[in-house]
Amino acid sequence: MTQLEKNSVWQGTLSLMVLRTLLTMGEQHGYGIARRIEQTSEGKLSINYGTLYPALLKLEQEGLIRSEWGLSDNNRKAKFYKLTKAGRKQIERDTRQWAETSAIMTRFLAASED
Amino acid sequence: MRMLRAWWSRIAGFVRPGAGEREFADELQSHIDLHTDDNIRAGMTPDEARRQALVRIGSVAGAREAHRDRRGLPGLEAFVFDLKIGGRMLVKYPGITIVGGLAMAFAIWVGIVIFQVVGLFVHPTLPLPEGARLVEIRSMDVAANVQEEKILHDFLEWRQSVRSLTDVGAWRDSSRNLIVSAGDPRPVKVAEMSVSGFRVADGEPLMGRVLVEADEQPAAPAVAVIGYDVWRTRFGSDPNVLGRAVQLGNEHTTVVGVMREGFEFPVSHDVWLPLKTSVLDQKPRSGPAMTVFALLAPGETIQTAQAELTTAGRRAATELPATHQHLEPRVRPYAMMAAPGEPGDQPIMYSIYFFMAVLLILICGNVGLLLFARAATREADLVVRTALGASRGRIVAQMFAEALVLGSVAAIVGVTAADFALRTWGTVFLETNMGRLPFWFDLSLSPRTFAAAIVLTVAGAAIAGIMPAMKITRGMGNRLKQTTAGSGGLQFGGVWTVVIVAQVAATVMFPAVVYMEQSLLRGVQDFDPGFANEQYLAVQVERDYPVDGGSNVDDATLERNARLAATLEELRRRVAAQPGVSGVTFTEDLPTTNHPGKIIDMGYDLDLSDVASAKSDGGASALAGGSNAEPPLREATIAAVDPSYFEVLDAPVLAGRGFTTADAVPGTRVAIVDQGFVDQILQGRNAVGQQVRFRYPGPSSQRWAPGNPDDPAGPGDWYEVIGVVRELGVGAPTQAGRAAGFYIPATPDLFDQIHMMVHVRGGDPMTLAPQVRAVATAVDPSLRLVGVQRANEANNDVLWVMGLWLRITVVLSAVALILSLAGIFAVLSFTVARRTREIGVRVALGASRQRVVVATFRRPLLQVTLGIVVGTAIIFTAATLIKYTEFPGSESDLTLQGMAMIIGYGIVMLGVCMLGCVVPTRRALNIEPTIALRTE
Repeated sequence: MTQLEKNSVWQGTLSLMVLRTLLTMGEQHGYGIARRIEQTSEGKLSINYGTLYPALLKLEQEGLIRSEWGLSDNNRKAKFYKLTKAGRKQIERDTRQWAETSAIMTRFLAASED
Repeated sequence: MRMLRAWWSRIAGFVRPGAGEREFADELQSHIDLHTDDNIRAGMTPDEARRQALVRIGSVAGAREAHRDRRGLPGLEAFVFDLKIGGRMLVKYPGITIVGGLAMAFAIWVGIVIFQVVGLFVHPTLPLPEGARLVEIRSMDVAANVQEEKILHDFLEWRQSVRSLTDVGAWRDSSRNLIVSAGDPRPVKVAEMSVSGFRVADGEPLMGRVLVEADEQPAAPAVAVIGYDVWRTRFGSDPNVLGRAVQLGNEHTTVVGVMREGFEFPVSHDVWLPLKTSVLDQKPRSGPAMTVFALLAPGETIQTAQAELTTAGRRAATELPATHQHLEPRVRPYAMMAAPGEPGDQPIMYSIYFFMAVLLILICGNVGLLLFARAATREADLVVRTALGASRGRIVAQMFAEALVLGSVAAIVGVTAADFALRTWGTVFLETNMGRLPFWFDLSLSPRTFAAAIVLTVAGAAIAGIMPAMKITRGMGNRLKQTTAGSGGLQFGGVWTVVIVAQVAATVMFPAVVYMEQSLLRGVQDFDPGFANEQYLAVQVERDYPVDGGSNVDDATLERNARLAATLEELRRRVAAQPGVSGVTFTEDLPTTNHPGKIIDMGYDLDLSDVASAKSDGGASALAGGSNAEPPLREATIAAVDPSYFEVLDAPVLAGRGFTTADAVPGTRVAIVDQGFVDQILQGRNAVGQQVRFRYPGPSSQRWAPGNPDDPAGPGDWYEVIGVVRELGVGAPTQAGRAAGFYIPATPDLFDQIHMMVHVRGGDPMTLAPQVRAVATAVDPSLRLVGVQRANEANNDVLWVMGLWLRITVVLSAVALILSLAGIFAVLSFTVARRTREIGVRVALGASRQRVVVATFRRPLLQVTLGIVVGTAIIFTAATLIKYTEFPGSESDLTLQGMAMIIGYGIVMLGVCMLGCVVPTRRALNIEPTIALRTE
């Protein structure tokens, strides 16, 4: 799979990945979220930063995360994002939905192989 | 909730874009810095680390744009940007701005004025706290399809029994002379009203008190409450007015209160008296005419009140079948009193809205033509934008925004002009047509009208912007190919041809309308009344009739008439005795105003051999033995006058004799005709001794109505013509053709309306007005003199209205002409620009410039010529129709002179429209082939 193909497959799930990352890591800035996602995917995913920040903005506008300026580990000024209560509930919903979708696709793929 | 929060955030981002832009720039910078630090920790040099970080982040501009789109409202931001472009276009193309802007401003002005005025009738609102609950109760005679106004009996019943209504009250209208000490008497509008009227109308007094229930008792002292304007103008704002004795007609009363400024309930009243119902005739369908009002009880609606009143009406029909069998009570909002027809049943009013819409479409369609021509010069720009990804909708939205900016500027001008026009002329115009206006008529622009202005602006912008945009953007892809291949492009298609033709036709028609209006106006101004009417004072005399409780109507009428005749005679005697007065007479209708017309039969048409027998059987024997041919249709204009009329007007009798007092005795059938009657109807016959009758006389209560051909009563009695006078303005100047005057003598007490004419020798007759008023008051305080004016001012109201319409039509004509010329200029300029290369090639190949220009302009000039022809044809048709319908059965068609005038006018308009061709023609003639051939 090429880089472009990898990105286009996962782009629809970026919001869920961001929320899960914040759930796991706690408060984090945009760069850190992107690095974490790439690390979690073991380098198979490459985040387009042009779409990451609009996605973060969208989640913030919907009240699923909130942001605050702070200082990073190496004293750099950065905008940190944190999960809200609504965000946690959204993770549960999206995770459940993703599991259902994944199970259905798995069944389809198994049936077609048969 | 999430969506709402997101939208709210985006709106905040749209309103304050700068803050979000700066914050994201900081965040991006922070990202780059963090990534750079990581790269340095991984072993890169600082420069390399930073470079890699920048490479990895990709397009910063792209990221910013994506974030900006998410942060704000990109569609709205684009629209705002388009509006800014539109503003710049206004400055860049001042010609279109001025022409198109003025035209749209005019359309909006007309729309706003119409909307505000029509709204007074179809959507009236009462400026009262309880206005929404205030209703009027009427009684309709469904068999005769008329309103029964004598409803005192029903009012008393409704007040007692109806539960869905509260504060049920009534008022009766009258006009009386208010005589204040030694001041001259002037009529005031008086309402005898139930005290609940002050409650429902929030009537707080400025001084003293309002009427109370005790005032309505029969034996209560006579009291009155006066209005603010009366207190100010008639009592000089006297702070001690309370307790003053005043005389209202024949009634002496005491002022107990002064109302606050602006209070005029029930309609437009100046003085309030208590309604003493117990002294009035309370028999069913008897007594005075009244109006009943009430408040809807809390929780009730007009529908529930109507249901209860309908039940009450049915009960009354059962109990009083002789009077109430066909009566039905009806409830409606109080303010609908001034509206024609039933609530929701004003098709004529809504048809005026249709006219407004048509005018808007016409004018804005023409502005669209100009905007199309402007946009066509930017075709290359639009094609490139399309190639870069702009959708059709985006370009259409941009052009709509440009038109909206133009329309908004036009709306500001139009609304301001409408407000000015309504404040300056609106009240006068309405009062000329309606008399005093109801207190709830407010011509200042309402919020509803402002909303209508916005709708008109947006609609106008849509017509002027979207129509050309759709045309411009149609087939944009193909045009891209054609443009790059160096051929093809936009053309003015069928729709624009119709627009141009219609515009030019309208331009041709409007000046003709102006000419016609001006001719009519001049006709009224220059109308020869046949006597020196500037020397005469004209006064309309009205009289109160005292309230007679329980009296018989017929006896009362006879008694009133007997007293009125003597009163008027005394008035005449005393006025004639005033210094400077050389004569006093009476007439039913003033000279130069509208007089009734009646179809007449002439004795010689029926070949009468025995006038006496013809008179006795109404002409039946004459008809039976006379000519078999249907008598020709002839109309005479009737004037009922006092026997002294011709003498006072210094109009000698030309043949026969004048009227005497004996001729005015009822039943005496004599008449005098004027020269117009002799020339048109008698056509050379000797007038004296001729027999004339009304073919359809009609009932005595409507004696001057045109009459009903199906009336079984048959023709009237024969009149004998006893004399001839010159024409004395018996026809109004606004009536077409020459009147055939037919004067009938009568005493003024029998007139439907009484006009007194006083001949004043030397000086302005108006100087006699105060003495005449004083004399009238001394003769009978209940005599009201209204419409006191010089006799030559009788048509001032008509002149004012005609002048207003003329001014409006002149402005409309100017707008149409400017639009036409601008449109022609735009079309021809566009054509020259499109075909510059072609013109250059043809001239280079040896064709004469003039021939090339003619060939190039052939199509647009044909459109203009077609418009001229259409407009001229419409004028021709209208002129023929007007002539034909004004004189039914007449053989007079449009004369050769008239036809030549219309054709000549068409040629002149063609020349005027050619002015729009001057500049483009010069441009085309000056095209150099070498330069044109380089044009891509």
